[in-house]
Amino acid sequence: MAEQDDLAQSLEAHRKYLLRYAQFHLRDPSLAEDAVQDTLIAALAQSERFQGRSQLRTWLTGILKHKIVDLTRSRGRGLPADTLPLDEDGGSVAAAFTAQGKWVDAPADWGMPDAALESAQFWRVYQECCQRMSKRDALIFSMREVMGLSSDEICKKIEITTTNLHVILFRARLSLRSCMSKNWFGTKHE
Amino acid sequence: MSKLMYSCEQAAKLSSRAMEQPLTPAERVLLGMHLMMCKRCTNFTHQIEFLRRASRKIPEVLEKDAG
Repeated sequence: MAEQDDLAQSLEAHRKYLLRYAQFHLRDPSLAEDAVQDTLIAALAQSERFQGRSQLRTWLTGILKHKIVDLTRSRGRGLPADTLPLDEDGGSVAAAFTAQGKWVDAPADWGMPDAALESAQFWRVYQECCQRMSKRDALIFSMREVMGLSSDEICKKIEITTTNLHVILFRARLSLRSCMSKNWFGTKHE
Repeated sequence: MSKLMYSCEQAAKLSSRAMEQPLTPAERVLLGMHLMMCKRCTNFTHQIEFLRRASRKIPEVLEKDAG
């Protein structure tokens, strides 16, 4: 019993991180809260499966990823609703190119961009740029690029076609690169 | 002739798809030809690859924020 209490305390210590993680993907505080709650309950229920506390956060994050994906497709909640029909790009891809297929906002050279990864300001801009996408695009993009789920997994789990996934990821990448160009790479900063 | 040359839109779309699944040999050749001549699309390809590297670091960033 004491061990169980111990675990409950350690779980509490990770709650803040898990909430941030869930909120980053879901952009909905009450959904994020639900995902974290479900994660902690599942963790307590399967605590015997967990050995080696040093990896506790990794283990919890693994459970949370599944909960986030589950939440978006179960309980009749579906994916966030503020979104475009799946097969259409709502004009945002079209707006990035002229009728002849040329760039409207031509990608400039970002030089050696990896240095930016050390800057806290860079990450603020990155997160703000993610918020400019629709919730669904942002979620699918982050399932792919942040969680690192495979294309196949994403298509199966949220029941979209590969073609749809490619359209959504292309749209998300165009949007993010354009926003980062305007707000980070195209500006002077320390 | 124009069928053999990708527009920037087609090239960018393929660069994005190449991050998800292997292209066909023909697509690879045509995309390669376009990228050789087009600095903008080459920049785009580097940018979306960089954005993937950056995105994978988000958990670390959230960890710093959350303490």
